[in-house]
Amino acid sequence: MRTVHGNLGSLVLSAFFVFAGIMVLYDTTGYSDSDSKVFPQTVATVLIVFSVIAFVSGLLRPLDEEGFGNGSWWRRFALVVTMLLACFAMPYIGFLAAGAIAFAGGLISAMHDHWTPGKLVLYWGSGAVIMAAFYAVFKFALLVPLP
Amino acid sequence: MLRRTILKSVAAAAIVATTALTANAEITGPVSYIIPFGPGGESDISARLQQPFFKDKFGQELVVSYQPGGGGAVGWATLNGLNGDGQTIMGINLPHIIIQPAQKDVGYTTEGVNAFYMFHFTPDAIVVKADSPYQSLQDLIDDAKANPGAVTMSGSGKASANHLAQIKFDKMAGTTTTYVPFKGTGAAVTALLGGQVKAEWGYTTVGAKQGDAVRMLAVAMEERHPLFPDVPTFKELGFDMVGGAYRGIALPASASAETRQLWSDMIGEINADPEFRQKMLDGGFAMLDVDAAGMEAFMKARVEEYLADAREAGLLQ
Amino acid sequence: MDLGNFLSALTPLNIALALFGVVAGTVIGSIPGLTATMAVAVLVPITFSMDQASALILLGAIYTGAIYGGAYAAILLNTPGTPSAIATTFDGYPMAKRGDGDLAVALACFASVTGGMIGALALLFLAPPLSQVALAFGPIEYFWLAIFGLSLIASLSSGNLIKGLIGGAFGMILSTVGVAEVSADIRLTFGSQTMIGGFGVVGALIGLYCIPVLIDLVAVPDRHLKVENDMRSVRIGEAARIALRSKFNLIRSSVIGTLVGILPGAGGSVAGLVAYSEARRSAKPDQKFGEGEPDGIMATEAANNATVGGGFIPTLVLGIPGTPPDAVILGALLVQGVRTGPTLFQSNGSIVYTFIYGLIIATILMLPTGLLIGRYAYKSIVKIPKAVLVPSVGFMTIIGTFAIRNSISDVIIMLLLGTFGWVIGRFGFAASPIVLGLILGPIAEQGFVQGWIIGDATGNLLGMFFGRPLSQAIIAFTILSLLYPAFSAWKRSRTEAGR
Repeated sequence: MRTVHGNLGSLVLSAFFVFAGIMVLYDTTGYSDSDSKVFPQTVATVLIVFSVIAFVSGLLRPLDEEGFGNGSWWRRFALVVTMLLACFAMPYIGFLAAGAIAFAGGLISAMHDHWTPGKLVLYWGSGAVIMAAFYAVFKFALLVPLP
Repeated sequence: MLRRTILKSVAAAAIVATTALTANAEITGPVSYIIPFGPGGESDISARLQQPFFKDKFGQELVVSYQPGGGGAVGWATLNGLNGDGQTIMGINLPHIIIQPAQKDVGYTTEGVNAFYMFHFTPDAIVVKADSPYQSLQDLIDDAKANPGAVTMSGSGKASANHLAQIKFDKMAGTTTTYVPFKGTGAAVTALLGGQVKAEWGYTTVGAKQGDAVRMLAVAMEERHPLFPDVPTFKELGFDMVGGAYRGIALPASASAETRQLWSDMIGEINADPEFRQKMLDGGFAMLDVDAAGMEAFMKARVEEYLADAREAGLLQ
Repeated sequence: MDLGNFLSALTPLNIALALFGVVAGTVIGSIPGLTATMAVAVLVPITFSMDQASALILLGAIYTGAIYGGAYAAILLNTPGTPSAIATTFDGYPMAKRGDGDLAVALACFASVTGGMIGALALLFLAPPLSQVALAFGPIEYFWLAIFGLSLIASLSSGNLIKGLIGGAFGMILSTVGVAEVSADIRLTFGSQTMIGGFGVVGALIGLYCIPVLIDLVAVPDRHLKVENDMRSVRIGEAARIALRSKFNLIRSSVIGTLVGILPGAGGSVAGLVAYSEARRSAKPDQKFGEGEPDGIMATEAANNATVGGGFIPTLVLGIPGTPPDAVILGALLVQGVRTGPTLFQSNGSIVYTFIYGLIIATILMLPTGLLIGRYAYKSIVKIPKAVLVPSVGFMTIIGTFAIRNSISDVIIMLLLGTFGWVIGRFGFAASPIVLGLILGPIAEQGFVQGWIIGDATGNLLGMFFGRPLSQAIIAFTILSLLYPAFSAWKRSRTEAGR
């Protein structure tokens, strides 16, 4: 089962890279300056050729060592989605609040042990300290205009 | 026509209003001065030269930060989204902010940039290595006429001040030279010093920085640069070329008229400082004083000039 | 170059500044997103009120510290703290994973100090002649240098060459997004204004290296790094022995770093990659690069710290900054009234020499401070529970990416690129070829276009690309490093057959 899964992914990605190469070739037709065309066209051609080779060899010789492997999907999703959410929310709720969303998402998705009252206080507390410290260093020492 | 009249009267009213309200705006903390390029270029150097004078005169820190990307376009596209309370300003460059929006949709428009002061420009200049066979501009012209296309000249980027100058000069002198674009003035100078190209379209700043290692053949100024009394202007040699890359500062569009006037006054005051002027001249820059009131007329003239040049050069459709 | 300058560099104030600079630089460099350029830029105003030499010593110390600090995150989190430390991840992270993180950090420190010293000594004794290297390198040489760097893909993706090449090509495509550097087009933005700035290298590094690690970390309950039982043992002695044994590698990598540092168009990341490539080429058969080989870390770290001294050579002698932090320091010098350029060593000799001695002092100070901070960093990364480590690092990636150019869309691009990198990584497309393409793509493109224009104008295209001696040497090295793995495999199979 996993063999098929892994190989299918490789084929889909190879096809994606072929598509990406074609998109690049299409985009270059709109350039006014020939100096901007030569490099992307060459590289896109190389990309398409190798991706086709990868696609064909993936069909002929399926590799079995690839695939998403085991592991919890909701945790992966929770991590990435909360971080993205934090970015989209940042202009409205400010940097610290958005950072807290991302931090909470990461903390919950990375927490594999059981929660005990001690850990609860310690982890969330240290999280708050870490965020405050970074925020202070960036905002006031490095003068980054954080929203 | 009617629209222009209305615009003019609005502008006039704004100017009257600003002078009346100047006292209300003030700077309350460190100012973020964003340079939409990487460090080391003319924009950076001139901002760094302003830094200590600003602190001296107005007591606040001027914090220079770099936001490179898209030949400056990334920074300018974000400018009007920034806070207009006067605590954030951004360096602007001509011809960039005129040519870029005319070429493609880059996320900002020339009119949308709230420029309040143009404080210097770097005059175009043709630079050759000290051991170059070109002793004068005429030598270069003769060679370019005898061997069309074989005279390679480096410069910073395409559709840039250097590139426009090359095209304009080729047309005036009836020569054919080959322009080789590099990433920034530093790389263009390196190529010149390394003998990769025969000459460079640069600025007077190159002559100031490289000293005896290079020789300038002509500068695009009305009169000779005080640092280089021996280098003729293009005008003296019969070519009507005056110009270069202009640099100034802008505020986000949301800034109040008072803030704009305050900033114009502050940068004007730094520009008037003899010590600052001397440092700028020593660096090869040429001073310019276009304040908030004169900006509209100045920009209008430059837009016409650059767009005509770019269209003639085939850089715009 | 007399004793007086050395003594004037040795004032308590200057030593304190050097120490502060090294520590601050190391910390800043270890945070992905905070680069040496930014650290130096923020500190420039402080130096206006200082004496010129002291100001320079502070800036130089921060710079050199930051380049070293980049190794921590590379080794412990698989994320280069600065682009210079890209190749440190190749062997550093595998070492940390198997429980040798403390050893890797100590090795990086020894290598960085060696590289820093050799670079600084080259600056001290050989600056004027070596500055000619910067001028000898024309567009074509940069083009071939980029191709040489790309040839590393072949050895990085052993077993899956095609996928490595696809990654490299894809990375080069990514590098063209946005406003073209030397031509007048906006490419591959598909009408989106957020893409005009293109993919920043630092943001892409954070995304492609760090986000996949985080995604993998949360998925399973295992520990982040394997921990040896005796955490108390200090492995400095062991590291020193390994470093001493690899002295040839260290010196060669430092020389490569110095030379590449002199090239204004290259920088620390290219230096690290070239040195790594060379170390790999000359490896003994029992060395397994890419799986935690100490020589890989040492080559990269020696080379990237050597670029500090190397980069100052064109900066001070020609007035052409070797690297972006050099450009900031050059600006600070100009404000201070120091004119760099051909006459600097004569007209402002004492300041220059005091600065160089300051840089040497800072490099020496890096040894104790680096080992100390390194040990502390290792212990804290190992000890922090995963549930706190992951969100802390995640938060750091967000704030670090934001700080590069104060842009939220950069952070979003970073996250999406990272997730994409994780997905394709699961199917054999590694991140490193993409990063190589992203970094070397622009160098290759500009060199090619400029070389073509010049060659075309002079009517000698073939001679332009293949006729120049320096180009020929780089081409020869490229072919050598491409063929060498095959050659050594052939030799090994012969000796095994003979046995």
